[in-house]
Amino acid sequence: MSALLPLATLASSLITAAVIFMLPEQAVRTRTALNLGAALVKLVLVLWMARGLVAGETYAVEFPVVPGLGFVLHVDELGLTFAALSSILWLFTTMYAIGYLEGSPNRRRFFGFFSLCVASTIGISLAGNLFTLLIFYEVLTLSTYPLVAHRGTPQALAAATVYLRYTLTAGLVLMVGMVALHVVAGDLRFGQQETLARLADGQEALLIGLFWVLLLGFGVKAALVPLHGWLPRAMVAPAPVSALLHAVAVVKAGAFGIVRLVYDIYGIGFSAALGVLDGLVVIASVTIVYGSVRALAQQELKPRLAFSTVSQVSYIVLGIGLFGPLGTIAALAHLLHQGLMKVTLFFCAGNYAEELGIHRIDELDGVGRRMPLSSLAFTIGALGMIGMPPVAGFITKWTLGLGAVQADMPWVIAVLIASTLLNAAYFLPILNRLWFRRGPAQGIGTWPDERPPSRFETSAWLLVPALATALLSLLAGMLAGLPFSPLQWATRVVQQTYQVIPL
Amino acid sequence: MTALPLAPLLYTALLWPLLLALRPLLLALIAADQSRPRLDLLWISAPLPALALAVLGADGAVRLDAWLLGGRWELDGARRLLLAFTALLWGLAGWYARGYLGAEQARAAAGDALSRSRLLRFALFWPLTLCGNLLLLVAEDIGSFYLGFALMTFAAYPLVIHSGSPEARTGGLAYLIMAVLGEGVLLAGLLWAAGSGSALTLSQLRATLATADAGPWMGLLLWLGFGVKAGVIGLHLWLPLAHPVAPTPASAVLSGAMIKAGLVGWLGTLPLGVAGVEASFRGLGLAMLWAGLAGAFAAALLGAVQRHPKAVLAYSSVSQMGMITALVAIGLLHPESWPALGALVMLFAAHHGLSKGALFLGVGISEQAPPWPAWLLWTLLALPALSLAGVLGSGLMIKSDTKTLLYAAGAPDLALWLSLAAAGTTVLMARTLWRQWCRRAPAGIAAHRHLLAPMPLAWLLCVLAALSLPLWAGWPAGGTGDAFDELALKALPALLWPPALGLALSIVLGWTLRRVAPWLSRRLPAGDLWWPLAAGARWLRRPGQATLRWLAAVQASWVAWWVAREHGAVAGLDALTRAEGWLRRQLALLLLAVALGLAAVLLIGAEGMPLWR
Repeated sequence: MSALLPLATLASSLITAAVIFMLPEQAVRTRTALNLGAALVKLVLVLWMARGLVAGETYAVEFPVVPGLGFVLHVDELGLTFAALSSILWLFTTMYAIGYLEGSPNRRRFFGFFSLCVASTIGISLAGNLFTLLIFYEVLTLSTYPLVAHRGTPQALAAATVYLRYTLTAGLVLMVGMVALHVVAGDLRFGQQETLARLADGQEALLIGLFWVLLLGFGVKAALVPLHGWLPRAMVAPAPVSALLHAVAVVKAGAFGIVRLVYDIYGIGFSAALGVLDGLVVIASVTIVYGSVRALAQQELKPRLAFSTVSQVSYIVLGIGLFGPLGTIAALAHLLHQGLMKVTLFFCAGNYAEELGIHRIDELDGVGRRMPLSSLAFTIGALGMIGMPPVAGFITKWTLGLGAVQADMPWVIAVLIASTLLNAAYFLPILNRLWFRRGPAQGIGTWPDERPPSRFETSAWLLVPALATALLSLLAGMLAGLPFSPLQWATRVVQQTYQVIPL
Repeated sequence: MTALPLAPLLYTALLWPLLLALRPLLLALIAADQSRPRLDLLWISAPLPALALAVLGADGAVRLDAWLLGGRWELDGARRLLLAFTALLWGLAGWYARGYLGAEQARAAAGDALSRSRLLRFALFWPLTLCGNLLLLVAEDIGSFYLGFALMTFAAYPLVIHSGSPEARTGGLAYLIMAVLGEGVLLAGLLWAAGSGSALTLSQLRATLATADAGPWMGLLLWLGFGVKAGVIGLHLWLPLAHPVAPTPASAVLSGAMIKAGLVGWLGTLPLGVAGVEASFRGLGLAMLWAGLAGAFAAALLGAVQRHPKAVLAYSSVSQMGMITALVAIGLLHPESWPALGALVMLFAAHHGLSKGALFLGVGISEQAPPWPAWLLWTLLALPALSLAGVLGSGLMIKSDTKTLLYAAGAPDLALWLSLAAAGTTVLMARTLWRQWCRRAPAGIAAHRHLLAPMPLAWLLCVLAALSLPLWAGWPAGGTGDAFDELALKALPALLWPPALGLALSIVLGWTLRRVAPWLSRRLPAGDLWWPLAAGARWLRRPGQATLRWLAAVQASWVAWWVAREHGAVAGLDALTRAEGWLRRQLALLLLAVALGLAAVLLIGAEGMPLWR
């Protein structure tokens, strides 16, 4: 039985993708039922595995591809963290996408690749060695391309081309790194990080070089400065795709890859001994500040959120780079927290665009009157990004700060504070416009493209996911002490899997 | 008095305002209720559970591990006094607001959408701000404390910009910018200290600060972070800008209750009175002392030329908080004197909170005067001012205690300085009353008001609470008895010379402003440093934008460079294609040439080669 569950989890979205491609374009209901059903099944499977893992079970699948190199799925706490994020948010993003694309063409293609994309994130999270991870990493690249290009406008096609350029070349670099590492150390399974440390004698320079090569490969998807150029361009994609790209699929896959690289391939202790972590912290710090500064200059909502992602994802990288349990906890918790908060923000941005035709920030005056619930969700997400308690972002920022002090890098606190101030500087004006400025809702001017008012402020398919993820990000912070909150789960991962330093 | 169990009281005290804040939202959502939001009796009752907690709750602690990073809330003597006067002031100001916003409510009822939305905002954020204020008073874990502080700070922003006028926007902007900066510095201090000592509670934080090597630096960050709220000179810019524009009840709680959150923060995080800190914290203590005194005097000078009575009162708050800052500094410089001094500071806070609250509420009263005899009205308006100036009531008592304690602590100089600052307070009080008199409403404009209308009654009760403070202030700490006993009559002249000096100065100043230098008021507008700073920021705006554009250009050129490289690579591929085409066309010829060449080689070299043998 232990081999079945990971395969079934993977298959739940893979088969969905295949079936959706075969369904005719008009089969809207079947497709909707299939999408939501599969998302629920996958969520249940992941939660089931989490339960089993806590109870001490192991889940693994393995078969050799060529002698000495295996296709390995292995469920561990860390992988399950990412899998849980992906399956929870897949459910909400699918719901949102159904509402968002209602009545638009090419939905079969869209949902097919959507499912494929989620299947590959599950593959990434359950992969048990670098080879398997790389396969799904490439599948992810290819399956997101049609999503970014979905609209088919010249702009969308150009953005998708840029995206492909960045990610494919990064994949190439990653491949070279993997092959080199294979030559040096053989088929490295995750969780056997002492292998490299044993080999280290006399090969430090080579291993350090390989670390940076692999980081270069993962860093493109994680949007580390200066490899982040594709992310703001990809903003032309439809809102659910942006939500998926920013919260779950692409940038998170990159960040998760870096997590695997540091904790499972090199091992945190060995990475620290090689001295590569300091470099990681510096890169993350630069990215955090740079992303925030650039976000400040954006006049449109989605690009501002995009640069905010550049900045926020590097919190994860920063946490990884801080040697010590608290940094790791913060990194893993933020993997979930950032996903929840950012997906909320993109849902809301999509709602504004869909319902009122709003794309620019200065068009948001008084939207709080017209769309109070979306604006409430946006407010929660934005406050979380600033790091305001009791939203989840505060928990991350706090843990990260403590981790920085314990790793003897108190200067990182200055980075965190700078980021907090910059976040406040680009989010608070939006909130001010939403709630405290008078706009078309009070009879001043008009919205760019308003839909006739419906029963709710917008379609329930669009509203419910935004509210749900906002609530989850609030609860993840408020009840961070509960046993299965992201923070506690991250603490568990650190205690169980790594035993870096006794807590 | 029998004490009730703590946990249910505490949860009610915190959740009740929250529930009331959410009420208009819930009603609007569930019942699609489009009726006007009302400041009804239920809404006024928001701080009552907190008052009950202060009066009836037993000392102790409540834990809730699931909350944030581990929730822990406590009630003890000091917190009880803070809670009592905070809840009292909030309650009275809320009641007052019901009358103050009466015209707004009438407009909303008549169908004015703008008034309705303003009222809704007020009804929502007032209890929310209160909730934050209460939470920070009872919090013992750092997470809850920071949450309460942030909630109070940011929920008060809509109260500041209530009227929506350009002045309110400026005030709100100043408030928000300073608040965000303060939060940032505060968070840095908290993180650094909590990280160094693995502290989860405030008492652990204090212990860390006292022992850590970098303790004084953490202390500096915390002092400055809280200092924004407490109006430390230099960080006080928002006070005189936000107070005059906020609705009067909101100014009362801003100055009376919320400003004290900064003080509560200092008391909660700085290692005051811990033996042995006087050496390591000497620098910080002196900085606080001097900043406090500078604030006390500078604010008195700046406030004395203001024209709006609420601006004068705001500067007076800065000045009073400066005195409190100086007293807190003594806790670092002479830790042995802290237990007594701490109690005094707490009392000072309560005294200033209630008196300043009464004064602010009084500004609204003089603008919409009830039909009372002028002598009665102005006597009542003057009473809290006299108390704050130290002529009677709690003010007199605190001044006497301060003197005694400072002499005992060996800081008689400070006692003298504070007496001089008290003369400044008298000037400010005289100025407030004078400006109120100048702006008083013509008699009879509010003739419909009766004594029991919310505004006059709430104000009267606030005056009463402020004046009666000496009678009940000792109770929460366990009852120190009647404070007036210790006040000897023969000490009175020594206590009363500062107000007398202040009065003389006021007359000189009033004459100067009227006859000699009426331009002074224009040259020193409320908000003082804000205006040059704002001008500087405008001046820096263009270079800033240029920098951002430059960053974007750098990024674009980086991308363009790569694209150019790619084009180069593609061009290289094209060259290969061309080469291949050339090869294709010429291949037969080439091969022929090679074959011929080989043949020639063979023929020429055949003789010497052993090939044919």
